[in-house]
Amino acid sequence: MPPWVDFEPFIVSGLALGGVYALSGVGLVVLYRATGVLYLAFGAVGALGALIAWSLITRAGAPGWAGWLACVAVAGAVTLAYGLLFGPALARRDPLIKAVATIGLTLILYGVMDLLWTTSGGQARSLTLPTDNGGFTVAQIQVTWTQVIALAAGVVLTVGTGAFLRLTKLGTAMRAMANDRDITATLGVPVRKVEAAAWLGCGILGGIAGLLLADLVALDATTLTFLVISSLAAVLIARLRSITVTFVAAIVIGLLHDLLTPIASLTSYRDMTPFVIAAIGLLVLSRHQVMTQSREEA
Amino acid sequence: MRRNNAARRTILLAAALALAAAGCSSSSSSSGATGSTPAAGSSSSAGAATVDTSSCGSKPGVKATGTPIPLGAIATNQPGTSFTDIPNMAKAYFDCVNANGGVNGHPIKLYIATEQTNPAQIAADAKQLVQTDKVVGIVGNTSIIECSINSSYWQKLGFYVIDSGIAPECYSTPNSAAVNMGPRYSSDGAVQYALAQHVSKVVFDQANVPGTGYIAAGPNALAKAANVPIVDLTENVPITDANSVAIKEVNDAGPNGAVILNFTPPQALVILQAAQKLGLEDRVKLWGCSTPCNTDFLAQSLGPKWNGKLFVNAELAPPDDTNTTSMNLYKAILKQYGSSVQGGIGSFSQMGFTEAEIAVHALQSITGPYTVQSVNAAFKAVKDFDTGQLCQLWTYGDYPLHIPNNSDWTVTPKDGKMTTAQGCTLISKVDPQIAQYRNAAGTAANAPTGS
Amino acid sequence: MRATLERASPARIARRPTRPQLIKVGITTVLLLFAFFALPELLSLYYVDTMTQVAVYSIVTLALGLLVGRVGLYSLGQAAVLAIGAWAAARLLFATTQPYPLVLLEAGLITMLAGLLIGLPALRLRGLYLALITLMLAGSITVVLATVNFPNGGHGFLGYNGGLLHIPPIRRPSIAASDPAYFRYSMVVAVLMFALVLAHIKTRPGRAWAAIRQSEPAALAAGINIWFYKLWAFALASFITGVAGGVLAGAIHYLYSINFPTQDSITLLAVTLMGGVFSLWGAVVAALLYQFLPALLNNWGVSADWLIILFGVGVLQVLTTAPAGLADQVPRDLARLGRFLGRRLRRRPGGDAE
Repeated sequence: MPPWVDFEPFIVSGLALGGVYALSGVGLVVLYRATGVLYLAFGAVGALGALIAWSLITRAGAPGWAGWLACVAVAGAVTLAYGLLFGPALARRDPLIKAVATIGLTLILYGVMDLLWTTSGGQARSLTLPTDNGGFTVAQIQVTWTQVIALAAGVVLTVGTGAFLRLTKLGTAMRAMANDRDITATLGVPVRKVEAAAWLGCGILGGIAGLLLADLVALDATTLTFLVISSLAAVLIARLRSITVTFVAAIVIGLLHDLLTPIASLTSYRDMTPFVIAAIGLLVLSRHQVMTQSREEA
Repeated sequence: MRRNNAARRTILLAAALALAAAGCSSSSSSSGATGSTPAAGSSSSAGAATVDTSSCGSKPGVKATGTPIPLGAIATNQPGTSFTDIPNMAKAYFDCVNANGGVNGHPIKLYIATEQTNPAQIAADAKQLVQTDKVVGIVGNTSIIECSINSSYWQKLGFYVIDSGIAPECYSTPNSAAVNMGPRYSSDGAVQYALAQHVSKVVFDQANVPGTGYIAAGPNALAKAANVPIVDLTENVPITDANSVAIKEVNDAGPNGAVILNFTPPQALVILQAAQKLGLEDRVKLWGCSTPCNTDFLAQSLGPKWNGKLFVNAELAPPDDTNTTSMNLYKAILKQYGSSVQGGIGSFSQMGFTEAEIAVHALQSITGPYTVQSVNAAFKAVKDFDTGQLCQLWTYGDYPLHIPNNSDWTVTPKDGKMTTAQGCTLISKVDPQIAQYRNAAGTAANAPTGS
Repeated sequence: MRATLERASPARIARRPTRPQLIKVGITTVLLLFAFFALPELLSLYYVDTMTQVAVYSIVTLALGLLVGRVGLYSLGQAAVLAIGAWAAARLLFATTQPYPLVLLEAGLITMLAGLLIGLPALRLRGLYLALITLMLAGSITVVLATVNFPNGGHGFLGYNGGLLHIPPIRRPSIAASDPAYFRYSMVVAVLMFALVLAHIKTRPGRAWAAIRQSEPAALAAGINIWFYKLWAFALASFITGVAGGVLAGAIHYLYSINFPTQDSITLLAVTLMGGVFSLWGAVVAALLYQFLPALLNNWGVSADWLIILFGVGVLQVLTTAPAGLADQVPRDLARLGRFLGRRLRRRPGGDAE
């Protein structure tokens, strides 16, 4: 077992990783609470937006803010289009079917991204945000402002959207729609407008997360699209309900993942951390009851 | 029912839009890619404009119209890893030759089969090339596992493959000779350079793809012979947490140590950028990388902090620093015929050029019909050929294993380009495979000719 | 829906098979015989190798279709289960000289055991949770495989030697060493697995699964032990996927952990849905989509990315408009087309044939 001082930098990087997982995880739960759909294409729309931003900034020479705006706009537009086209058609179906449908969108986006931004010829792309250039030092390693922003964004999302969904009229309408679209419609809620708002908001979230993740993790379609699988761990532990639990679980998973790094016998297995924790967590939480995801629970 | 049909129609519409978008922008993305190396492009385009590509063939301006000579190539092409530039560049070279006399009047037709690292597909591709396309030679194979899958098939049929190797069998069997050094010997080169700078510890980190044990054996032998401790690490790719990787490497290496990476360019970039953001790049004596890092993309993305800090093994002559006829011809052919080569100037297209060069040189020596026997005998007989892209003269030969490219340059990023840090240096024969090859090949394997 | 209700009824009077059923069996037999005898002669080795993969993956999609269509369990971990089967078979083939059928059986049983170990705790979850936990477990297995690797003739429990210069190929059965012979061998195994599943469907487990899929409370009220039958489905699906892994090992000779990424489980679900989860033919269609179409596109020089996009579109299409997949939709569309053409031709008595 290595000495404690070896673990210190990993606590910092673990928190950063936790921030990454929290950003995706909280985004997924917020989307689920607002639309009733586990939006597995979250990573893919973010990646698409980030790649478009990269193309605009490095190829077309556009200023940074224009690229970021394009990223968020594209992510929002794609998600809105998906929500408007397939939301009503699948609204009455099981949450599982709705989630599997988003897998369809993920595959489409993934294929398109690899076609348009090829990796042949050894091309390596990266997206850097201006907040990468500043920071402070903790435990002999530098922490960039981008990592702080990611963590802060996770916190803001957790607190802010939780309050929004619970306290505002629009938020309540969204939750009602996610629960049962038909009954909500009979209550006189403007269903199409609320649905559009929910999906657009979710898409914008995905775009912002995509920018941050492209900077923090990698600007690579495969990595960003399937990062959502690891983020699902925190989502599962929260049973798709509590945003706060998702956030905390994500931080814990990130910390644990990195803290395993200096332990020689376990380091090759550390990528399993999210999956193992999710499996254990879910099985422990379900030991006294049969867990089912019916519409009533959402 | 109407809604169902509407949904169906919109799906099809979306798919059609995606198709159209892809069609419109695939051309722009490829031109964008070549435009991304503006410095290299502009400095060499002046040279290229004055180089007549017709020197690639024996009869300038005369189109070859005889019966085509069919050759084949298998390359990996999957999301995240694409080696198609190599056979595409070989095809560009063949196109040039075909427009300038061909091989004794015969044009060369290159059949390119792509695969997604699926062993069944790779074996099937080989059979397709041989039985359906009736190729008489294999030139330009570049695949993560193809050599392992097909080496016994090529041996059975008597094909002597000219390839850009990655898997162990590309360098350890009689039927494959590569123009590059492959991950093991390229990592040897990077480690060797680090050892020459008197580092006190080496950390060798590589991607967890097939062959890690075989690859690590080389650097381990070198470090052991130099009495320098070495730590072997592997990372699952794609890397999602580069921070922990960078911290681990730096911690293990220590302030007088070296971190040597063996990853594809995107993964290496992610690790190096993480190290820079964490402020760790100066915590070790030097960083090294095997040849995949040798691209201007990487040099540009990394920025000035890595000038003289990162030392990359280069298996092929640095295009920006070399002003020879061969290099200018390569750039000119790339410009004129290489529209499907997406990475532009760089080691991938250089390898394609070199392999095609060797193949044409061999084919031109054949006097009778072009059959599997005659073509592969000619390939095997290539001896001391000056490709103009390598340190050494290239030989195939009749040996149990082939490592014809076993001498390398070392380059370092400088202001957005890779520049030479050290000229041609032989890979040490402390690596047992190198020793075995040099024993078998004799003097053909030794003297470097480049600078 | 109607069909499942019918099959849910307990006692069945033995009836003579109806004409459509006989026709169906006849067509199936003819197609199978044609595939067995004629296909290897007609196709180039490239496509024979591809069809072997189709045979192997039709077993995998059959297992997944069984779970999804018959029992309503969405598994996002099928590629990992296949990897376990392949691993077990490879280890046995390198370590022992047992005959191939025995190795396949053992691989199937080992995988079944693994499936039971996973199923026992996991089946407390339902719906989306179950799907996601299978994804989590698949992710774990993928990471473990990346570290321990597939056996390649080395020693020890793991049988992996990382420093080999020449990796030995995994052996094939002596009667099926050539590619066409191995295709026939894999077809026989596939037909046996399909028969095994069909036997289950037509007897009590099949009826229990149909009842569970229809309504769990109702099935419970009818006295069906839901948990037991779900576990049985898991076990059967794992067994046949394990056998498929064994056949895969012999087909491709070399196994690499990078060939079983977590994403593959997602793609497998996509093609299984597209093929159709309610019919056995759907499994074959799914396998053709998964292995034959890529080989075709590869041959034509079309990028594999188009296929990924197609699968995505296919999933959306299936879930929104054609829940029974291509295996159900295409015959119906063809029948509809046939009726339409028939009406047109009848409307022009003795007129132009168009």
